Amino acid sequence: MPRLVEIRRSVMEADEEIAHRLREMLDRRGVLMLNLIGSPGSGKTTLLERSLIDPPFRSAVIEGDVETTRDLDRIKATGVPVVQINTHGGCHLEANLVEKALERLPEDVDVIFVENVGNLVCPAEFYLGEDHKVAICSVAEGGDKPLKYPSLFHQASAVVLTKVDLKPYVPFDEATFWDDVDKLNPKAARLEVSAIKGEGISRWIDLVEGWLCAKRERGS
Amino acid sequence: MHEMSLVEALMDTLLEMQRRQGWSRVSRVTLKVGKLRQVVPEAMVFCFAVASKGTPVEGASLEIEEAPLVSRCTRCGREWSDSESLGLCPFCGSADVDVVQGMELLLESVEVELDSAEIGRN
Repeated sequence: MPRLVEIRRSVMEADEEIAHRLREMLDRRGVLMLNLIGSPGSGKTTLLERSLIDPPFRSAVIEGDVETTRDLDRIKATGVPVVQINTHGGCHLEANLVEKALERLPEDVDVIFVENVGNLVCPAEFYLGEDHKVAICSVAEGGDKPLKYPSLFHQASAVVLTKVDLKPYVPFDEATFWDDVDKLNPKAARLEVSAIKGEGISRWIDLVEGWLCAKRERGS
Repeated sequence: MHEMSLVEALMDTLLEMQRRQGWSRVSRVTLKVGKLRQVVPEAMVFCFAVASKGTPVEGASLEIEEAPLVSRCTRCGREWSDSESLGLCPFCGSADVDVVQGMELLLESVEVELDSAEIGRN
């Protein structure tokens, strides 16, 4: 005789438990963790490289990629501690992978930047224990991306529009982009940057520093 | 394409429960998946068939109930279902909006067959 058993628990419960544990650990240490999510080629690594030049906090980086240590090498060149996760086909990072990476990073840091696998869909579905998700989108990708990928833009604490120095050269419907961000997430911080030219970087650093200070004030 | 990750986590849970509770076979698995979770049901069913092969879950049917998206305005109290307006109330323009349904990713229930020893005990 078949029997029906009610379960009602999250499919990702085991990984979510790890994420909550990581978050508690980071909260105790007063460390801010950011989950940077954007398409391949949206400029995540370049934004990081630029952010790591003399910021007012101590940083570390976790690099998520399907293959290669190319991003690891780029971040290493800045002198900041960095760990590479290769997912070998996996389209996103999960908390169990971040947990192992954190063990290889020094504890005396203020901000951990996690660069997720380049993808606007799957990374938005997995909580890593981060304080904030940051959506990164370049003008070259087009202004229609927020509504096409609502889950990420809805959850992000900040939306960073990158490569704004390319605006004169690519068709980018700026009004549509920001109006749609508004409909999905009117509370998100909005930034426009060109990491190559240095435009908007200080506002981005100020935002991260503000998050760090707010976290430490709450914790103290 | 994160369905395989979800199925791997699901299989871990099912096989652990199967061992602990003494189920001889799992014949049906029901999930509740919110509209916002970006899950493709067909991909999920395909991955499930692959991952369950050779286990006591092999051959089980995977049923996916979709939970529609519902947003609620905390100011005017109205509800709507529109993924294009997740953060802004289309009625009063307030930004105090909660997504009250559509983020679920739940293993709701399973239909199982018990080991004969377990039947004796129950």
